[in-house]
Amino acid sequence: MTPDTPTDLASVLHRATLAHRRDLRRAAFCAVAVAAATVSLLGLSGWFLTGAAVAASLGLGHVFNYMLPAVAIRFMAIVRTAARYGERISGHDAALRMMARVRPALFAALAGASPIRTKRFSTGEASARLVQDVTAIEAAIVRRSARWSLVGASVSAGALALLGGWAPLVAVGATVVATITLGDWIARLGAAPARAALVANGNLKDMVSRYGAAAAELRCYGLEARAVADVADHGATLSIAHRASAAAVSWLDFVQSSAVSVAAGAAFVLAMPAGAPIAALAALAAAMGVDGAAPFLRDLAQRASVRTATERLDEILLQPDVADPPALGAAPQERDLALAVFGRVRFQPSERVAIIGRSGCGKTSLVETLLGLRQAKRGAVRIGGVDLLDIAPRQLSTIFALAPQDARLLAGTVRDNLLLADPLADEARLWGALHDAALEERIRALPLGLDSWIGEDGACLSGGERRRLSLARALVSRAPWLVLDEPTEGLDPATERTVLARIAARLDATGQGALIVTHSARVRDLCDTVADMTPPAATQPFETV
Amino acid sequence: MSGTALTVPPPPRLLATFKSQVSRLPLLLLLIDTAGAIGFAGGLAGAVAALAAGSTQVAGWIALMLGAGVVRGAATMLSVRAGARDAAGVKAGLRRDVVSALFRPLAGQGTTGAILASAVDEVEMVDGYIARFLPARQAATIAPIVVGAAVALASPVAALILIGTLFPFIAAMVLAGGAAAAESRHQFDALAQLSVRFADRVRALPVIRAFGAERRETDGIADAADAVARRTMRVLRVAFLSSASLEFFAALSVALVAVYAGFNVLGLLPAFVPEHLTLGRAFFVLALAPEFYAPMRRLAAAYHDRQAAETATTRLDAVIAGQAPPAAAWTYAGDAPPRLTFDAITLRYPGMDVAAVSDFSLDIAPGEIVALVGRSGCGKSSLLHYVLGLVPAAAGSLAIDGIVLPPRANLAPHTAWSGQTPLLLTGTIADNIAVSDPTAARWRIEDAAIRAGLAPALATRADGIDTLLDATGSGLSGGERRRIGLARAILKPAPVLLLDEPTAHLNSAAEAALIATIRYACIGRTVLIATHSPALAAMADRIIPMDRA
Repeated sequence: MTPDTPTDLASVLHRATLAHRRDLRRAAFCAVAVAAATVSLLGLSGWFLTGAAVAASLGLGHVFNYMLPAVAIRFMAIVRTAARYGERISGHDAALRMMARVRPALFAALAGASPIRTKRFSTGEASARLVQDVTAIEAAIVRRSARWSLVGASVSAGALALLGGWAPLVAVGATVVATITLGDWIARLGAAPARAALVANGNLKDMVSRYGAAAAELRCYGLEARAVADVADHGATLSIAHRASAAAVSWLDFVQSSAVSVAAGAAFVLAMPAGAPIAALAALAAAMGVDGAAPFLRDLAQRASVRTATERLDEILLQPDVADPPALGAAPQERDLALAVFGRVRFQPSERVAIIGRSGCGKTSLVETLLGLRQAKRGAVRIGGVDLLDIAPRQLSTIFALAPQDARLLAGTVRDNLLLADPLADEARLWGALHDAALEERIRALPLGLDSWIGEDGACLSGGERRRLSLARALVSRAPWLVLDEPTEGLDPATERTVLARIAARLDATGQGALIVTHSARVRDLCDTVADMTPPAATQPFETV
Repeated sequence: MSGTALTVPPPPRLLATFKSQVSRLPLLLLLIDTAGAIGFAGGLAGAVAALAAGSTQVAGWIALMLGAGVVRGAATMLSVRAGARDAAGVKAGLRRDVVSALFRPLAGQGTTGAILASAVDEVEMVDGYIARFLPARQAATIAPIVVGAAVALASPVAALILIGTLFPFIAAMVLAGGAAAAESRHQFDALAQLSVRFADRVRALPVIRAFGAERRETDGIADAADAVARRTMRVLRVAFLSSASLEFFAALSVALVAVYAGFNVLGLLPAFVPEHLTLGRAFFVLALAPEFYAPMRRLAAAYHDRQAAETATTRLDAVIAGQAPPAAAWTYAGDAPPRLTFDAITLRYPGMDVAAVSDFSLDIAPGEIVALVGRSGCGKSSLLHYVLGLVPAAAGSLAIDGIVLPPRANLAPHTAWSGQTPLLLTGTIADNIAVSDPTAARWRIEDAAIRAGLAPALATRADGIDTLLDATGSGLSGGERRRIGLARAILKPAPVLLLDEPTAHLNSAAEAALIATIRYACIGRTVLIATHSPALAAMADRIIPMDRA
């Protein structure tokens, strides 16, 4: 599949923003309302209280209009609650729906890219980082209303301060601007240690995985204490960077709290000529106005990490399109899917081939090459007379059905996994495949049968069951060649015998051919041909990467 | 779609241990912040009261306000830093536990490094819980009492109003189903589910591609994201009610106090209200009212930190739990190559349904070289790891010169090792060789290097054996790395030698050259080689096939 013209994250988000602008606007409107209600609630309360005291001291307590402000204060409290609720709902709704566009776009870009480039994402490490990046973008969308809180808070605080004259208004405005400017500067200062922490974290992980692979050597040479000390050292470097970043960002708290009291003090002093009630109103409004900048400051602090996440996601979204769409995807003749591997061996349709050879000799690489997961050499593999390089990847997936060495199951139900091989397969075919993989009874015994959830990479199944489900998945396919990489490894001899007998019967019935990578003598017995893959390295049919 | 087939995991054991490891400093600083809030309210109330009384001498009150603001800022800032310091301490301890997990078997043998590397990330995920959540939770129980007490000093009735709003607030929290916790949990779970599916499909991309299902899976991800978005919003509409109730009672308490104080100073309250407030007291109470709920709002904001830590520690528990008991001290006296007798050994990794090695017996004569051959996963390496005590035996025993090894004892002190990817450490080549015998004199290190066939490699480098290596060993060929590993094995005066696929992934010429070196390393030792290579196996006195078939 080829994605449309590559688009960067910004334009994907822009399109999503347009589609969900109503929610985003509602969130923004609510954010403004929250901030304005908070500022007014306190400002008005201060004015009301002071005004009441002044009226009482003048003996005018009975003519003081207390009903209106008292009602307004309660009204503000309700508005604030409702608007906050609305802000959170609309903001999350928009973020979830916008990300519902970003995730598929990313996945389509990954799926359309060359397999060699995306191979690194098949490790938990790389995919975990990808998820972290997506999550960072999602959180940034939720925080989008922060700028509107800032606007709502400063505008309403300014308006109330204006009751005391221009001077308090200027004081509030100046404090907000100074706070944001300082906040921006602090966020920039914090970016460097945050980056350093990221690097330190990567180094620490490298070290831990290197040591993790060398436990025997560490034990043998009494290096355990050294390993612990080395990891502690690298951990300390990480901690220092982490703490430096926390320390830099903690200045935001200092600036914000100080700014609240500066704004309140300045607004009060400058509004004094307007009388005590207005001065009280200006002071409390100014305090709450600056307080309303807090979400925006937090957003500033996250800006650098959002930028990094965006850059990394853009790398995926913008990667140059696959070099391989071969000239119009030459299709091999349906009738003749004979397979020629580096000119030496020819396998006829319906043939059963055992591929053997010691580990590291490239058996699995051959499998990956056939499926287009690895760059082939020109002339090395011909299918039905057509060079592998000239066959469209989509075509390859209809010629071969793979059961990979590491079962590679999807997080989903048994059915989800089986249907991956053929979405049109009916119930009977699914059960037939499970039967031949000696898994039928186990799945029938589950309360939900085919619809049982198998967990991440089949976590709810045992190792042998995972492998057999992966095998069953390949058997669901009607592709002319089954490609089975160590299909019976880890199975006990009795199960292995059962599975092999059923596969043989199935191949007889369907006329499919099979390429089976194996170490097992029993599997070899099932096959017509044995191909030993232990050649000199130079004749490998794929490019060594 | 969440796992009905999965059982609910027990609450992470680790999470509960953190509380005792943190200092009281962040809490103390948060309480100073609360004291600052009281100062700010006092300053503002004093200034307003003075102005209302016709005085313009408010400089002292304003100074109190400004000073209190700076104190608040400094206290919050320092509390963040103290929290970060506490978190750093806890994380250092966790990392230590993670490294110790190196020395015991983990399910899925070959992936130990990867499991541990992701544990490093999980350690980082407890940061917010310790730095923010724990201090906020402690402050949320103490700070409202402090604020309430300060309010009570000025107006006991206002304090009662504040406390009064707590009861319906708590009732609302209970009704809303676990309050902020529930909200945060639902939100967190829903997003996590989406992430899991996305990460899963990205990892499974090769097989998705192999079945030509890219378009279908892309659509599937879009549908799932849409469905989860819809379902999540239904949950959040209810869940956010709990935070709305927090918001509502925070606002309501301010409004009630404002209206009460206003009516009080106006003298409009019925006679049974026992107090009459001055403007100063009334204003102080009003300015302080928002602080009553502030600690609880801070806690609610930190709730997702707890959620993240819970997820992380559940996984960390699995890595760290069941620390290997310390290896038993046991030494075998003797420099001569010993007889090794494996008697009906069964090895099983935790969580695996098939034993890696079952009922394996083998008697190795002193000085004999035995090659274990068989396909990968047949248990060759597991057996070598067992000798070093890295995999415990589920059954059976190992005897050295007829003496059965006591439980938890291992042969590591008497063993040299060489594998296909020797660990390289930052330092010179000489340093790297000397790790197997730190007391070795310089000439012995050089001798080991030469006997390991490193001479040509050293000759091409200006600093020879003092060439500095980095931890990735850049600039070294695969063969040179292995020779450094072999030099280590040669240097250590150990009567047993274990070799784990020492020639894997070498071409036949390089393999032949290395075998000559290996042959030298085997002299005068009892040797166990795990290998696929017929050429290497051919140098053994005996070849033991490990395939059960």
